Amino acid sequence: MAALPKRIIKETERLVADPVPGINATPHEDNLRYFDVTIHGPASSPYEEGIFRLELFLPEDYPMSPPKIRFLTKIYHPNIDKLGRICLDVLKTNWSPALQIRTILLSIQALLGAPNPEDPLANDVAQRWKEDEKAAIETAREWTRTHATV
Amino acid sequence: MHGPRFIGVFGVEGWATRSGTKLLAFGESVKIERQRMQLSISAKGKGKSKSGATIASRRKTLDIVVRFTNSRGDEVGRLAQDKAAFISTLLDQKVCAFEGTCFYAPEHIRTNDTIHLQLRCFILSSAFDGRKLRLANDNRITDLFSAAETEDEKALRLRQIALVKIFEEVNLQPNRTNEITEKHKRTGLPQVAEMAEALDNVKEGSRVPGKDATTSNTEDAEDNEGKELEQDQLDALYRKAQAFDWYSPEAEPADTFTLKLRRYQKQALYWLMNKEKDIHSRENESMHPLWEEFMWPTKDENGIDLPSNGHQEKFYVNPYSGDLSLTFPRQEQHCLGGILADEMGLGKTIEMLSLIHSNKSPLAPKNSSTVSGLPKLQRQSNGVEFAPCTTLVVAPMSLLAQWQSESEKASAPGTMKTLVYYGTDKNVNLQMLCSGSNAGSAPNLVITSYGTILSEFNSITSRGGNRGESGGLYSVKFFRIILDEAHHIKNRVSKTAKACYELSSEHRWALTGTPIVNRLEDLFSLVRFLQVEPWSNFSFWRTFITVPFESKDFIRALDVVQTVLEPLVLRRTKDMKQPDGTLLVPLPAKNIIIEEIELSKQEREVYDHILLRAKRTFAANVEAGTIMKSYTTIFAQILRLRQSCCHPTLVRRKEVVADEIEEVAALDASTGFSDDMDLQDLINRFMETEEAEGSGKSANAYGAHVLKQIREEAEQECPICAEERMMDMVVTGCFHATCKKCLLDHIEKNLNKIPKCVTCREPIKERDIFEVIKEELPSNLLPPPPTQSPFSQPTSYSLLPTSTQKDLTSSPSPGPASETQFTLRRLSSRSSAKIETLLSHLRSLRLSYPHTKATIFSQFTSFLDLLSPALTRAKIPHLRFDGAMSQAQRASVLHQFANNKGFMVILISLRAGGVGLNLTQARWVFMMDPWWSFAVEAQAIDRVHRMGQDEEVTVWRFVVKDSVEERMVGKIQARKRFIAGSLGMVSQTEEERREQKIEDIRDLLS
Repeated sequence: MAALPKRIIKETERLVADPVPGINATPHEDNLRYFDVTIHGPASSPYEEGIFRLELFLPEDYPMSPPKIRFLTKIYHPNIDKLGRICLDVLKTNWSPALQIRTILLSIQALLGAPNPEDPLANDVAQRWKEDEKAAIETAREWTRTHATV
Repeated sequence: MHGPRFIGVFGVEGWATRSGTKLLAFGESVKIERQRMQLSISAKGKGKSKSGATIASRRKTLDIVVRFTNSRGDEVGRLAQDKAAFISTLLDQKVCAFEGTCFYAPEHIRTNDTIHLQLRCFILSSAFDGRKLRLANDNRITDLFSAAETEDEKALRLRQIALVKIFEEVNLQPNRTNEITEKHKRTGLPQVAEMAEALDNVKEGSRVPGKDATTSNTEDAEDNEGKELEQDQLDALYRKAQAFDWYSPEAEPADTFTLKLRRYQKQALYWLMNKEKDIHSRENESMHPLWEEFMWPTKDENGIDLPSNGHQEKFYVNPYSGDLSLTFPRQEQHCLGGILADEMGLGKTIEMLSLIHSNKSPLAPKNSSTVSGLPKLQRQSNGVEFAPCTTLVVAPMSLLAQWQSESEKASAPGTMKTLVYYGTDKNVNLQMLCSGSNAGSAPNLVITSYGTILSEFNSITSRGGNRGESGGLYSVKFFRIILDEAHHIKNRVSKTAKACYELSSEHRWALTGTPIVNRLEDLFSLVRFLQVEPWSNFSFWRTFITVPFESKDFIRALDVVQTVLEPLVLRRTKDMKQPDGTLLVPLPAKNIIIEEIELSKQEREVYDHILLRAKRTFAANVEAGTIMKSYTTIFAQILRLRQSCCHPTLVRRKEVVADEIEEVAALDASTGFSDDMDLQDLINRFMETEEAEGSGKSANAYGAHVLKQIREEAEQECPICAEERMMDMVVTGCFHATCKKCLLDHIEKNLNKIPKCVTCREPIKERDIFEVIKEELPSNLLPPPPTQSPFSQPTSYSLLPTSTQKDLTSSPSPGPASETQFTLRRLSSRSSAKIETLLSHLRSLRLSYPHTKATIFSQFTSFLDLLSPALTRAKIPHLRFDGAMSQAQRASVLHQFANNKGFMVILISLRAGGVGLNLTQARWVFMMDPWWSFAVEAQAIDRVHRMGQDEEVTVWRFVVKDSVEERMVGKIQARKRFIAGSLGMVSQTEEERREQKIEDIRDLLS
């Protein structure tokens, strides 16, 4: 594997030295482009109290290409599908090389606080969210309790 | 001498040309006469008395018929071909006469019968005259191979061969010869002469088809001119020539010489001084080495005394020129000099200067009181005055100033008076100035250029050869002449070489790192200059060196060359080790870095366009089988490719446009024109963006508030690669900064979309990307002095195309140590990838090493023309040195470069500055474009990395990635090195060479 670019080294150092509250990202020792991530569900959201595990991988041409991120913990969210894939513009078309792991994870945390059923990834969840938001939020809480609490 | 003199007898066969009985009887005397076939019977009998010269000049090819008649005057037959060949010449040229006696003839003769004759040979008195106009020492300068032989020259050659043969036939041996001459003669002069003839015929046959190739004007045209030495043959020669003994004696220089000599330099001094000593005693007259002394036979073939003819017992023959003489041919000159061939950088100049100080003419007066006692000199009569104190140095123009300054540096004050004799400084009368009677104030060193010599030589020859009246270089017999970079005269037929031969002096030296550039004849010219007898006679040289070499008898030829070189040459190389294992001259390390250059999109388009066309031409010609004919055309296109690697506009320079148009018209009449338009269009686009910068308006419009933002941005790391100090910072139209490469990568990544600013997502227009040029100048260097070359148009900074510069100039930064200035320049106007890379290197070098100097070499002066304004814009002080500059300008430039204290760059054309110059003040070298053979680049690099350099030298060789340059460096240079470093004594045939060339082109265009 090619030497790790300065950019990744710096980001990793800063994630350790100056962590974001509620977010933790740790690279694998054998693959420094591969991170174990946990995100705390934002307060006053159905995901409050939940700790979600994600995996994050920095592709070869990062930061020219966005990182690849996936939820490992099951989550009930209109923009996150069964496989944990996330629908978020900055991870796709709106990626900018100036964005970082930190900012991307903050965006994901924000997404948990503000689900957007108009731009769904998990269609069934989005449908439910629109028809019966209360019930949907309850299910999300339920899932958080079952899957995202230790 | 009166009348013919007998020299001997020999037998010869003849054939009867008629039938009859008792035509010829045993013992009957026979008349031998020449008769041209065309002549009618009535001319018979007059053949001998007819003017030989006219017959000779009229005879075309093989008319060598020699007839013989019986005592009644009837023609009987003709002599056999082999003997008739030289007998006819001797008769025609009135060298000999023959008396025949019939030895055997059948009683009934039929046509074609064999008749045996005995011929008595006499040398005619006319053989000794008629040639007096020619100096005994004169050379037959015309190359028998390269130029068509004139009738006169042919006659001379025939006479020479004939004389050698007749002496062989009559078995007359010289009783005195020169030792060297004798040694080589034993290898068989007549055979060699025949070899030469055979070779001539071959050459003559092949000359006509070869003509096309030689008229082509490419770099390789030289190949066709003669036989080149392979590198390993050269190496072998040098190895032998430089059998240098570490323990050879040393000499201490005179105390007026102030530099400290290294050991090997003291050894050189010893050798030099020894060579100048006249070991041949002048009392004992020695015979000219080309001549042989013969005794006239005193008895005839029957042992009967011949009538004595006056008191002359001896005569002299020069078998190399065919000259005969009755007077003793004295050797007039000894070579009291030699060839100092130490490799570049070992200090040939210093060694010679130590000699100038240490070995002075015994005639040089210590003070003016002895002047009256000067002996009269022989040559004064023809107007040449001896200059006992003066050494003449002839050097290429670019080195004149260097000689002067080095000679002054090496001498105690007042002990070295120098005079640069050049251009307008020539208004002195050298004869008056240097003559012995003026010894007190005569210059010790007169320094002049090859060009000056040539022009004086021309004016003297045009005025009928009176040396004295001009008061110039030819009116003086110098004490010593030194030819620096003596390979300048390697071509013996060049006027410069002839002009140098004619200079008069007691001692002669040739300095050159390459006494043989690529032909053995290169060495001949030096030997000729040095007047080393017998080798300075071209006929002799040709007989024993050229002819065997060209007949592939390499071992013999090179052996002979070695015997020539050995006593003449002192050569040490830089990689020679001293007995303790250390290098002769320890030099600091040298790092060569190949800098891979990536062309910009626009540059690549221009390049690809030219490449495509070159490929098309090549393919078309391969198909048509006309590849060698169109070699020049294809070569021109490859040249264009190489230029476009440097800067796309180079290919559009005036000097190449004309032949390009012609070429396009000739090659591809149908599509050529539109092709041309495409190219123009591409270049226009390139120019457009460049000119847009000139207006400066748009950049200016952003206003001064932007400066603050840029300054802040500059403090931060690049948002893309997180580098703290951005590499070649660029800003977008929204003034967000990144590294140049990062942003370009980002744009590349979003090729199909409109790229957006990474920081604010503002769409990026490629035109609106600016380079931020940051100048961190140590405050003591501010303001930067306008230190451009005084010969280039001074450019004031207010005229800079980026008028934004003023607005954007930062207020002085708080630190007193340095001040940072910012300038914005449109990125799309980037001059060229190479220029940008160069500037980026120079900026960082200046930052880290503010007091160092850099040299920039390019083979294209037009590229230097483009580099200069780019450097000006970047505020990098620079000078320029090229072939078009006058001597005074060159000197001034070199002086400035040497004496400037700050960061300084010199732009040098590879051709003008690749040899000789000493640029050890620099420690950075940029080779902007590769040459076909790395040796040429290496020589340029050695301008900097040579004796006197005490810092590590770094060399960047710029090579455009994926281009013809890459293949030049990778393949062709490597192959040339391979050839140089391997193989036995095999030389490539013409065919192989041709194939190699085609292969090379294929490689280049692949």
